[in-house]
Amino acid sequence: MLILKTLTRAPLHGYGIALSIKRLSDDVLTVEEGSLYPALQRLLLQGWVKAEWKMTETNRRARFYTLTAAGRKQLGIELTQFEQMIMAIGRVLKDAEA
Amino acid sequence: MIEKLARKVAILFGRKRFRRDLDEEMAYHRAQAEQELVDGGMTPESARFAAMRQFGNATRLKEHSHEAVSFWFEHLWQDFRYAIRQLMRSPGFAAAVVGTLALGIGATTAIFTLVYATLLRSLPFPEADRIVRIHDVRLQGQSTGGLVGAARYYDLEARSKLFESTGFFIFDETTLIAGTQLPVSVRGTAINAGFWSIFGVQPMLGRTFNERDDQPNAPHVAVLSYKAWRQIFGGDPSVVGRQVTIEKISTMIVGVMPESFNVPNGIDLWRPAQFNPSQWNTYRGDGTRFLNMVARLKPGVTVAMAESDLKRIGAQLALEHPSTDGKWQFDTMSLRDDLYGQLRPALAALLIASGFLLLIACLNVANLLLTRATGRQREVALRRALGASAGRIRLQFLTESTVLALAGGCAGLALTWILVHAVASKLPGRLGAPGTVEMSWPVVWFAFAVSVASGIAFGLAPALRQKSGALMASLKQGERSLAGTAGGRVRNAFIAVQVGLSLVLLVGASLLAQSMWNLLKSPLGFAPDHVLTFRTVLPWNADAAAIRSFYGDVQRRIASLPGVDAVGQISALPTEDWHLRTTYDADWMPRSVHKDAVNVEVRAISGDYLPAIGTPLLAGRPLTGADASATATSVLVNRAFVREYGPNQNLIGRHLFSDDGPMEIVGVIGDVRGTAGSIAHETGPEMYFSADGQHPVTRRSFVVRTAVPPEQLIQAIREQVHGADPQQAISDVQTMDDRLDQSVAQPRVNMALMASFALIALLLACVGIYGVVAWSVAQRVQEIGVRMALGATRGQILRLFVRRTAWAALTGVAAGTCAALFLTRLLRSQLYGVAPDNPWIYSASILLLLFPLLIATVRPALRGASVNPVDALRAE
Repeated sequence: MLILKTLTRAPLHGYGIALSIKRLSDDVLTVEEGSLYPALQRLLLQGWVKAEWKMTETNRRARFYTLTAAGRKQLGIELTQFEQMIMAIGRVLKDAEA
Repeated sequence: MIEKLARKVAILFGRKRFRRDLDEEMAYHRAQAEQELVDGGMTPESARFAAMRQFGNATRLKEHSHEAVSFWFEHLWQDFRYAIRQLMRSPGFAAAVVGTLALGIGATTAIFTLVYATLLRSLPFPEADRIVRIHDVRLQGQSTGGLVGAARYYDLEARSKLFESTGFFIFDETTLIAGTQLPVSVRGTAINAGFWSIFGVQPMLGRTFNERDDQPNAPHVAVLSYKAWRQIFGGDPSVVGRQVTIEKISTMIVGVMPESFNVPNGIDLWRPAQFNPSQWNTYRGDGTRFLNMVARLKPGVTVAMAESDLKRIGAQLALEHPSTDGKWQFDTMSLRDDLYGQLRPALAALLIASGFLLLIACLNVANLLLTRATGRQREVALRRALGASAGRIRLQFLTESTVLALAGGCAGLALTWILVHAVASKLPGRLGAPGTVEMSWPVVWFAFAVSVASGIAFGLAPALRQKSGALMASLKQGERSLAGTAGGRVRNAFIAVQVGLSLVLLVGASLLAQSMWNLLKSPLGFAPDHVLTFRTVLPWNADAAAIRSFYGDVQRRIASLPGVDAVGQISALPTEDWHLRTTYDADWMPRSVHKDAVNVEVRAISGDYLPAIGTPLLAGRPLTGADASATATSVLVNRAFVREYGPNQNLIGRHLFSDDGPMEIVGVIGDVRGTAGSIAHETGPEMYFSADGQHPVTRRSFVVRTAVPPEQLIQAIREQVHGADPQQAISDVQTMDDRLDQSVAQPRVNMALMASFALIALLLACVGIYGVVAWSVAQRVQEIGVRMALGATRGQILRLFVRRTAWAALTGVAAGTCAALFLTRLLRSQLYGVAPDNPWIYSASILLLLFPLLIATVRPALRGASVNPVDALRAE
C-alpha cells in the first residue's frame, strides 16, 4: 500500500521509492531497503504497477515504476480497508477511555 | 487471472532478463545510497559497507524476488539441475550409489513382477473371481490330487443352485495324425461343453464346441491351442474345418484358441468328452476319479457361500452312499488360489528377502551420503552464509538423494527387464506359461514408488544432520571434533541393522540349500542315472489283445537294441503328477464298512520294470510275464504298505479283494519317492500289478536302463516304435535325471533367488562396514597420531576401531538371530528334512557372516594402526 501510494504522484525508481517512504514517514519506517524489490516484483505480477527503463537526472539507467489503473483501484480498496480498520481501532480505544 | 498467468509465463521464459534487470536495479540502488552517504561526509569505504548493510542480503532478496513471481516447480527444477551438476562432479560416488540401489531396487522389482503376475493381477478371464476349482478331498489318508469322480460330479451339477455353469477337464494324451505327417503325440484334454462358458474366452479362429458336439456319438471335433496350431499346422488359418486323425478317430478341427488361453497349462487340444451322465452312477469307487472340476459362480455368490452349499451336498451324498462318498468331501477354492496358492508362501518369503536387501542397500547409500555430507559441510556453510535457508538446503539434499534413487530405480528396472526377458519363459511350471511373467506398467510404477520412497528414506539421514547454526565452525577448516561424533553412532546403528538383516537372509538361504541337499541326496528308492524314459498312449478303447501285442513287441524290440541293459514299463513314472488310488479289503484284516481295509496308490508295471528303474525287491518274487495271463492276479506291494497294514507280519501269500476277484501279494519292493508327484512327499502304501492283465493299460511309460549315455538311444527307439506301429507316436522323451531335475525346479529357483539375495546382502554389508571403519580412521588420523605420541601401541589403536564395529556387529547378530527364528517359520512349507530353527544352520550362517565382516573391519583398522604418528601430526 505504501509503495502504491508513493507512486500516485509520479513514476519513481526503486531507490526513489525507498527514499520517499523514509522521508514521508520521517524515518519511522526504515526497513531493510532491499526488501522493497521482492514486493515490487509481486506488484508487477499483479499488474498494479508497470516498469520501464529510463534515464535519471544523473544520466544513469534506472527502472521506473508507474501506477496502473488497476493499481489505482487496488490502492483505493486498500486505503478504504485501512481507514475502516483505523476507525475501528479508534472506536475501540475511545470506548476503553469512556 | 489469465493476465497474471501470462506475465508469469513471460517471466519464466525471460528469466535471464528478469535477473539482469533486478541486478542492475539493486546495484543502482546501492550506488545511490552510497553516493548519498559519501555526500553526507562518510569515507567511501565505510559508505559502501553501510549501503550494503542497509540494503540487506542481496542474494536472498533476489531469490525472494524470484520466488514472488515464479512457478512452484521452477524451484524443484533448479534443485534438480544443481543435483545433477553435483553428481556429475563426483561420478565415482554417483556410480557406487546407483549401482547399490540398482541391486536393491532390481531385486525387489523382480520379485514384485512374480507377485504381481500370480497374486495381484486379475486373471485373463472375464470376471475371473467368479471361477472356482472344486476338489474332492479324502477325510483320512491321502487324496488323489483333488480329482472328482464322475458320479459325484453329476450329482453336484444336479443339486447345486449356485453355479452358472460347471465344467471338467480330463488329461488325455493322444496321438494326432494330420494328413500325411508322421503321428505326433499331443497333450489333449477331454472337457464338457460347459467348460467354455466358465472361462468366457473367445476362440481366435473358428468356434469352440457346444452341447450338441458333447452328445454321445456326435461327430468328433477338436479345438487347438495356439501352440499346437503353430507347431503342428505351421499357423495355417485354413486348418479350421480340416479332418485329422486323433486317437485313430477322424476328427474335425473347429477352432483355435488365442495364445493367452492355457487351461489346463501346456495343453495342445480340447475335445468334447461326450459323457452320458446316467452311465456313471455305478462308478462311485475310489479308482474312478479322474475329473478336474471347475465352475463359474452365479453373480453375487461368494466362494464361502459355494463352500457351504457343497458341504451340504457332500453330506447328503455321504448319507446316500456311505461306503464310498462317506469318506470324501468337496473343497472349493478360487481359481487364483488353485493356480498360484502353492507359490504364495515362497513368494512372500522372497518378497520379504528382497525388501531386506533393499533396506541394506539404502543403509549403505545413507552411509555414503553421510560421509559425503561431512565433506560438504563447507559448501553448505558457504551457501548458508550466502543466504540459503536451512529448509532450502534440506530440500536440496533430499532432491539430490531422490535423483540418485531414481537413477538407481531406472538401473534396477533395466536389470529386472533383462532378467524377465532372459528367464521368464524358463521358469518352472505355471510361472513359465507365456504371458504370465512379464513387464507391465504396474511393475514400472512399483519400481518408481520404491525408488522415490527409498530416496527420501536414505536422504533423510544427511538432510536432518544439517543443523542450523554453527556456521562459523564449519567455515573454519581443520576444526574437527575428536573421537566419535553423533554421525559415528548413527553409522554403528546402520552396521547393526545391516548385519542383522544379512544374517536373516543367510539363514533363510542356508535352510533352503539344506532342504535342496536333503531332497536330492536322501535315497530315492530308484537309480535315476543312465535311464531313458518315454511314453506311449494307445486309444482307450483299443482291443485288449492289440494293446498286449503292441507293448510286448516294443518291449522286445528295445530290449534287443545294443547298449540296453533292461527295459520296463509302468503306468506313471515316479515324479509324475498322476494319481490312481483304490480301496481293497484284505484277508488278514477285519472287514468294516466305515473304515477302509487298505487304501493304496496303484501302478501297473510290465517287462523288467524293477531292474530297469533300479528299485530293489526286498522279499518274495517279481511279477513275470506268466502273471499277466494267470487267472489268479499277483501283485507287489511296497515297504510302506507293509509298515502301514501288516507290520511284523509276512504279507506274502496274503490276499487283497477287488471287484475282479482276489489278488495275491507275491513280493515286497523298496519305497520309491515321488510316486504321485513331488519327491518331497513321504512315500505312502503302494501296490503294483501287471499292466498286461485282464484290462491291459493303454498309457505306459517305458524305462530303459542303458550302458551307454541314454541320449544316444533316442533315435533307435523312435525307429523301433515306428516299426511296431507306424501310427503310434512317442512323447516326453527324457532321461530320469532330467525328470528329477524338473521336479525340484521350483525349490531350486527359490533357493537360487534366496542365495543370491543373501550373497548380495553380505557383500553390501561388508562394503558398508569397510566404508564406516575407513571413514572413522580417516576422521581420526590426528587423534591416532596424538595417542601414539602419548604411547599407545598399534594393537591398542587396532582394538579401538575394531571394538566399536564388533559391538555393532554382535548386536546385529543377536537381533538377526531373533528375527530369523521368527521369520524362517514362513519358510516351513518350503523346507525338507530340516527344522527352521536348526542350530547348526544358525551357527554356520553366523560364521559365514562374521568371517568376511571381520576382514572388512580389520583391513581399514589396520591401516589406521599403521599410521606414522609424525606424519599424522605434521598434517595438522
